[in-house]
Amino acid sequence: MAVVLGVTAVVVLVPLVALLSSLLQPSIDVWSHLWSTRLPGMLVTTTVLVVGVTVGAAVLGTALAWLVAAHRFPGRGLLVWLLALPLAVPAYVSGFVWLDTFDEAGPVGQWWTGVAGADSWYPTVRSLPWAALVLTLALYPYVYLLALAAFRDLPAGQWETARVLSGSRWRAFREVALPAARGSVIAGSVLVALEVLTDVGTVRLFNVQTVADGVFRVWFGLADREAATELAGLLLLAAVAVLLAERRLAARRREATGGRDAARIEPEAIHGRGAVAVGGAVAVVLVALVFPVGRLVAWTVEAVRRGTTASAAGGIDHHLWSSLVVTGWTVLACVVVGVAVAVAARWGRGRRHRALAGATTLGYGLPGPVIALGVLVVLAAIDRTGWLPRGTLLVGSLVGLVLALVVRYLALAVKPAEQAVGRVGRSTEDAARALGAGPAGVVGRVQLPLAVQGLAVAGALVALDVVKELPATLLLRPFGVDTLPVWVWEASSDSRWVEAGPPALVLVALAAIPTALLLRLMVRGRRVDW
Amino acid sequence: MTVIRGSGTGLRATVAVVLFATVAWAAAGCGSGTEDASSGSGDGTQQPVSVYIGRHYGIEPVFEEFTKATGIPVVFTTGKDAELRERIKVEGPNTQADVYLAADAGNLQLAADDGLLASVDSPVLTGAVPERVRAADGSWYALSLRNRTIITSADRVADTDVPTGYEALGDPRWKGRLCLRPSTSAYTQSLVSSLIADRGEDGARAVVDGWVANEPTYIDSDEDMIEAVVAGQCDVAVINHYYLPRTVAEAGPIPVRLTWPTDPPGVHQNISGAGVTANAANPEGARRLIEWLATDGQRSFADVNYEFPANQTVPPRDELVAFGPYTVDSVAVREFGPLQAQAVRLLDEAGYQ
Repeated sequence: MAVVLGVTAVVVLVPLVALLSSLLQPSIDVWSHLWSTRLPGMLVTTTVLVVGVTVGAAVLGTALAWLVAAHRFPGRGLLVWLLALPLAVPAYVSGFVWLDTFDEAGPVGQWWTGVAGADSWYPTVRSLPWAALVLTLALYPYVYLLALAAFRDLPAGQWETARVLSGSRWRAFREVALPAARGSVIAGSVLVALEVLTDVGTVRLFNVQTVADGVFRVWFGLADREAATELAGLLLLAAVAVLLAERRLAARRREATGGRDAARIEPEAIHGRGAVAVGGAVAVVLVALVFPVGRLVAWTVEAVRRGTTASAAGGIDHHLWSSLVVTGWTVLACVVVGVAVAVAARWGRGRRHRALAGATTLGYGLPGPVIALGVLVVLAAIDRTGWLPRGTLLVGSLVGLVLALVVRYLALAVKPAEQAVGRVGRSTEDAARALGAGPAGVVGRVQLPLAVQGLAVAGALVALDVVKELPATLLLRPFGVDTLPVWVWEASSDSRWVEAGPPALVLVALAAIPTALLLRLMVRGRRVDW
Repeated sequence: MTVIRGSGTGLRATVAVVLFATVAWAAAGCGSGTEDASSGSGDGTQQPVSVYIGRHYGIEPVFEEFTKATGIPVVFTTGKDAELRERIKVEGPNTQADVYLAADAGNLQLAADDGLLASVDSPVLTGAVPERVRAADGSWYALSLRNRTIITSADRVADTDVPTGYEALGDPRWKGRLCLRPSTSAYTQSLVSSLIADRGEDGARAVVDGWVANEPTYIDSDEDMIEAVVAGQCDVAVINHYYLPRTVAEAGPIPVRLTWPTDPPGVHQNISGAGVTANAANPEGARRLIEWLATDGQRSFADVNYEFPANQTVPPRDELVAFGPYTVDSVAVREFGPLQAQAVRLLDEAGYQ
């Protein structure tokens, strides 16, 4: 079993090591240049953005989850769904919709300067606060979904007792409901933090100079790949810090102990000030979902009118197909490898096993292009050895692309898979073995069926990120594979917003599928965190 | 919401996962078919030319025209100039690219310096492409030219006030009225590289300091800068010339004036260009594609994006002729590629965003 872990860890780590080995010979010259120019600003900006968005998403996600989990009001069933769907709108898409609408040259800015005069003050939209707002609205559903599941599992007995004893809903919320959801909120927030840390598309739109953005300034501006990857090493350190912090915080987590069959809390009818909260939730849906999607629809209509509904590589069908192929294979690979890692880690249970399992998830802490380059370097080296059959190359093959995406997103599958596997009690396992089942039998006949739900969560999480993924796909894709994000990029990098409309709209629709699946799994089935 | 428990959800989830996997499986089987489809426009007897291309607008009809004329099919993959160059470098002897087509001279020269491009000795190309806009050793050739130039608001800037060059943008009268592209843009980098080539590092620094002192609004899109000038967010901006005729063609006339810098040494010009990769599997087809693009294909290639043809025997579009004549900065395009890193450092130090 350690072999499975070892092999996976090697596959994930080799591309990272291939790049980060340059850390041993730091580019002192570039570092000192950066330190005296942009680096201090980048560190501050990154910290402010990551902390701001994470806290914002945690608060917003938790509050919205509590609103729909513990209250009754007209339209609640619909709102539960709509509040999850902003996850289907990539931040780099909602980002350019926001810019186009709220920038001084956009309709809102023009209206304002028309009303208040040409010289009146207008906020700079290309700035950190707006980037933080857009990212928060795009990422809060990660917290919302998990918090929703946690509140749903809150035992009614505990809640009622707390309410009666404390005499206030707010105090009961703080003292019972919130602690019960704590682990879930933290898990969701970690995902948000890592997404923000490694984001390169959205921050660039808003002129926000983060460390991840700096990696590309150095890589392409200074044409210094070594120095760029050293800077990326800084991101990896930050990611490890976030994951360690999670482990510490989660260790103190108090779980609701209602068990499977405990009664759920009874949602209360909303009245008075509560209506304001519902209004707030509706506003979130309008701003985070209806507004960007509405704008995409308008662009799409305009694109159809102009007859520009195809990219250089082909129409919607070609790109949709490419996206399905890349996403499908990556999900399959991530889930299979995730299960293998989880089972191996469980079987071994040692410190070393845990460390190896942790190592397989490091790819999530680096920006996509850095991973892509690492994988490219390794695959090209393999291609050059001549081990492969003549005419077969890994670089520029679907296998190479999927491998890069697995390295990047495996982390998303491992944690739900660990829970899926962990759900099976040791006693079940022992019983199965006592009855003569070997390790394979235990996995196949006992653990897997019980764990399907965890695997669905793993698959949906991976699908959600892969379907929106751009940088690795752009760099590694084979001829004839052009995903929807590639088309969105081709159009938007040339400021052809209208032409970016159709692929962006289809992309949102496609990403809504794993989002809906996630929500369904969160509100219906047994609980799986990530 | 009623909470339904039990295995129903698990079952549906399984079905979803299995379905997804099946679709992917079927798709993979058709993967090779997709590739054939994109190259299938030729007669099938000739080996296709593979292109890594950093320019992606309107390129497909141009390649189709080439295939029609020569029977050689073209397959291509789009991407960013620098990343595609990196991919060719890493792929080494196994590269799948026969042609590297980039929208920036800097990246072409860096590719040549890394030995990624083959030196092509072609009388057709040396005849069609001026010496100033090709590599000295024939490793790359310009296919179209674009000018980084100045636009001003026709409403708020008088004809006599129009800045006459890049340095004039540092005049204090433009304080708070100037829009520029951030230093992450290859356009800004190549402009500053050419300033260094012309004036030396200190001279270039003085120009950039002037811009920064005017507290420019940084907008990472030439198209959006035109909008910003129309909307009154800024009165003067620096853009690639082709964005203006393109915007006018789409949206009708706008109160924006395009002028060529007249201060010596003149207009900063960059190129789109191409070279045959050093390890091309089909170098002959690659050479023919570039030769065709520099001659018979010039019109289509340059016109689709309102660029100037590199081949001086091919007249530019009428919209471009209407902008009037210009003097081009005579520094050879290949000279400022290697200065890019120096330019980025200078921009960093000047506090340019």
